[in-house]
Amino acid sequence: MILFAFFICAFFPTIQESAAELETYMANMPEALIAAFGGTGSNIASPEGYLNVEFFSMMLPMMFIIYAIGFGGGVIAGEEEAGTLDLLLANPIPRWRVLLEKFLAMVGGITILSFMSWLGLVAGIYVYNMNIGLGQLAAATFSSALLSFSFGVIALAVSCLTGRRGISMGIATALAVGTYLLYVLAQVAKSLEKYQKLSPFYYHLAPDPLANGLKLGDMAFFIGTIVVFLAISFIAFQRRDLAV
Amino acid sequence: MDIVIRTEGLTKYYGKTLGITDLNLEVKKGEVFGCLGPNGAGKTTTIRMLLDFIHPTRGKATIFGLDTHKDNVKIKRCVGYLPGELELYKNLKGGEFLRHFAYLRGGVDWKHVQELAERLDFDMSKPIRSLSSGNKHKVGLIQAFMHKPELLILDEPTVGLDPLMQQEFYQMVHEAKEQGQTLFISSHILPEVERICDRVGFIRRGKLIEVEDVSDLKKHAFRQIEIHFAGSVPKEEFENLSVVRDVMVEDSVLRFTVAGPLDAVIKAAAKFEVVNVISHEPNLEDIFLTYYGGDENAAS
Repeated sequence: MILFAFFICAFFPTIQESAAELETYMANMPEALIAAFGGTGSNIASPEGYLNVEFFSMMLPMMFIIYAIGFGGGVIAGEEEAGTLDLLLANPIPRWRVLLEKFLAMVGGITILSFMSWLGLVAGIYVYNMNIGLGQLAAATFSSALLSFSFGVIALAVSCLTGRRGISMGIATALAVGTYLLYVLAQVAKSLEKYQKLSPFYYHLAPDPLANGLKLGDMAFFIGTIVVFLAISFIAFQRRDLAV
Repeated sequence: MDIVIRTEGLTKYYGKTLGITDLNLEVKKGEVFGCLGPNGAGKTTTIRMLLDFIHPTRGKATIFGLDTHKDNVKIKRCVGYLPGELELYKNLKGGEFLRHFAYLRGGVDWKHVQELAERLDFDMSKPIRSLSSGNKHKVGLIQAFMHKPELLILDEPTVGLDPLMQQEFYQMVHEAKEQGQTLFISSHILPEVERICDRVGFIRRGKLIEVEDVSDLKKHAFRQIEIHFAGSVPKEEFENLSVVRDVMVEDSVLRFTVAGPLDAVIKAAAKFEVVNVISHEPNLEDIFLTYYGGDENAAS
């Protein structure tokens, strides 16, 4: 992850050199496509613009989302399907504590992942002379992590409700893809504009945390989502009959 | 006498499929209670309700006088459990798995774990993914016994064990009982239950049909016996003995069902030249049909 983030920066000088070309190219692209790449007219030749397009708008959230959904869908349902959950819960441990510990492991995992990617970026901007503050990078990474983690907790909730790993990962993935498309299409289609705020991506992409830092309202949306689905997870897991 | 497990009208439906219905059961402190029934009769359903993995549709159960749902954590401190379908963390070694479980449970004497492993001839240094099913089963048994629980709930404990280890397991059950531990064991093998249990509950199609002392069970236990003679034998010689039923003679082979002591039959057979005696253990269905009339005419 460190290396990946670093190499993303490594391509910046090349991009910058061909900036003029790229800009004409971009100008000819349909608006929706530009939106899909995360650019809202932002300049790809600037460090912020480049990292937004190449990294924070799609690549990083996608990687984090895959990780978070895999983790969230697997923790309870994975163990249930593997048949080890019975034995684990035969220990004098309440179900909520098992779930809490798995959740904290998820938090730990995504935190480490975020930190690694931030480190890679820091190294990258240093080596390739990109003029961005470390705080800005942290803000954008944190925002990506929270966005992705929301989908991870949704997967966790479905996994607690159904005990099925495939279903939980499928539903969470479909939601991620669907809400991403909703955000992108709403950029160009006026009729969808009023639904744009339903998409979690709106709270990550629209405020441009790389340029503007974190906004309380956007973070509150993610934390709210996480709290709601975590609560659903706890209630469902506490009540449900476990599969053999 | 203290009651360790008590169920009152315990019922579980899976959707419309019946798991177990109106189970009323009492297991006394210090006894070995066998839950006998064919596969799919509802034994595992009952056990999983006792451990709060699934919740009853109706009725309730208590262990040590505590509610199995509300107080499940408290109960589990004093319970050792072996699941019927045992699955372990494949990426761990046997010893690592046991250490992890000892840690989760707390207060486990590691020396005792080592004793158990030695006893079952189990090598803790091997990765679980490389273990045979018999060896995995040993991990299951060790983790169930390792904290010397007051109550052991064992679902089909001897499946997959070789005969030598089965004997060792029977010995472990015997010792556990001597130390005042209570055991609840499910099985579909009658001779096993006869051998290790004090009382047996017969479960069939989600119903507890009968609970009986094993000593009584043995009195009317029946077997199908085949005696091969050197020459043909007259049927009449055996037909009138009070302990036999269903007598059939084909030339030199005598087949019959016997309930109770064999003495009279053996003495009658001794008049002729006996070549071979074959005894068949009755299967569970036969026992149910013979003694409890099955489901269809259970009321009669």
